[in-house]
Amino acid sequence: MTDQLEVLLLDDEPIVGKRLKPALAKIGCNVEVFENPRAALDRISEKEFDIVVTDIRMDEIDGIQVLEHVTQKSPRTKVIMITGYAMMSLAREAMGKGAFDFIAKPFQPDDLRKVIASAAKALGSSIDFTAAGIDNA
Amino acid sequence: MSIINISSDVYEEGRKIAQKTAEAMGYAYVGREILRGVAEKYHLSETKLVDAIDKAAPTLRMSLKLRKQLMAYIQEAVLGEMLKDNIVCQGLAAHLYVLGVSHVLKVRILIDPEERARNYAQTHNMSVKKAEKLLAREKKLRQQWSFSEFRFDETDPSKYDLMVSLSQIDPDEAVRIITETVCSRKFQPMNYSEKCLKDLELAARVRVLLMDKYPSSRVQANGGNLIIETLGLTREKRKREAAIKELAENIPGVNYVEVHFIHDFFRQAAESFR
Repeated sequence: MTDQLEVLLLDDEPIVGKRLKPALAKIGCNVEVFENPRAALDRISEKEFDIVVTDIRMDEIDGIQVLEHVTQKSPRTKVIMITGYAMMSLAREAMGKGAFDFIAKPFQPDDLRKVIASAAKALGSSIDFTAAGIDNA
Repeated sequence: MSIINISSDVYEEGRKIAQKTAEAMGYAYVGREILRGVAEKYHLSETKLVDAIDKAAPTLRMSLKLRKQLMAYIQEAVLGEMLKDNIVCQGLAAHLYVLGVSHVLKVRILIDPEERARNYAQTHNMSVKKAEKLLAREKKLRQQWSFSEFRFDETDPSKYDLMVSLSQIDPDEAVRIITETVCSRKFQPMNYSEKCLKDLELAARVRVLLMDKYPSSRVQANGGNLIIETLGLTREKRKREAAIKELAENIPGVNYVEVHFIHDFFRQAAESFR
């Protein structure tokens, strides 16, 4: 693994990518943002990402399908689900299918950064997040 | 890294399973021992707290209002313990108020009703038929109470993740099933479920604080933001909203408070007839 985390961020609301990309770049993530799930799946087929952050409710392809595609294609990739329609059953389904974590919208960029930090730790990354004020111990 | 909540119609049976499960998982057991601390904190009798959990119907010694108050104290303590994670909770009626938290495995231990009636008849020195009748009545009253207070029937199987019948499965087997189930990724804590639990705990702390002056208040928390519904007369609205806001805003973890005032038609009608 390089010293940068390769992150794919998928959300059909443009504001989410716009807001989160700089927030994740600050902690050493190289972020590729997608609004179209099909385009994101094509990219996942081409490149192995360290972390995929995906919305759940999207037209055509939903986040659970993205999760299934990622776990099949690259089992080491950590998938973080984000949704504005959080429910216990959906959270359990996502976790049961191998999601690394599940975050309900709205959330603060720091909430996602903390989850990214623990995903990086699980991947064995040597990135030091404490400089960004995040405890990944 | 999860929480197991075990409930049962028969406290002692649930306790045995919960203690064995805690031992097998290396988790802490949280049972009625914590009620001593609650009783000391609020200057109450421990027996009354146990009665609030166990008794099926209001009695002369315990009105619905008092029971609601005692349950609020218990909820505050139990949810505080749950934040520590890695626990097996039992005998504290948590199945009624810890809802929607995906890393809490909810287990219901079922006892054969005939066997239960036989044991009850023996310990209370009565006929089995009478014991059956009494237990059936108690069950009905508890169902009514759980429905009116927590808006669901505690005997509804859909409210549990796992139901284990001790007449079919022996206790050691039950413990094995529970420990295997909780190891599923579905019951692992995640950002969302931890937030849900923190919200419930915060709402419980606020409810306790409002309990004395505004017992009818309903509290919902969402990430430090509170929505409090309170019942009262229109003339009290402004004063009450301000007082509730002031009380709630001082609680650690609270960022914002919104008070929704609901006009109490019954109280107004009662006052107009005086």
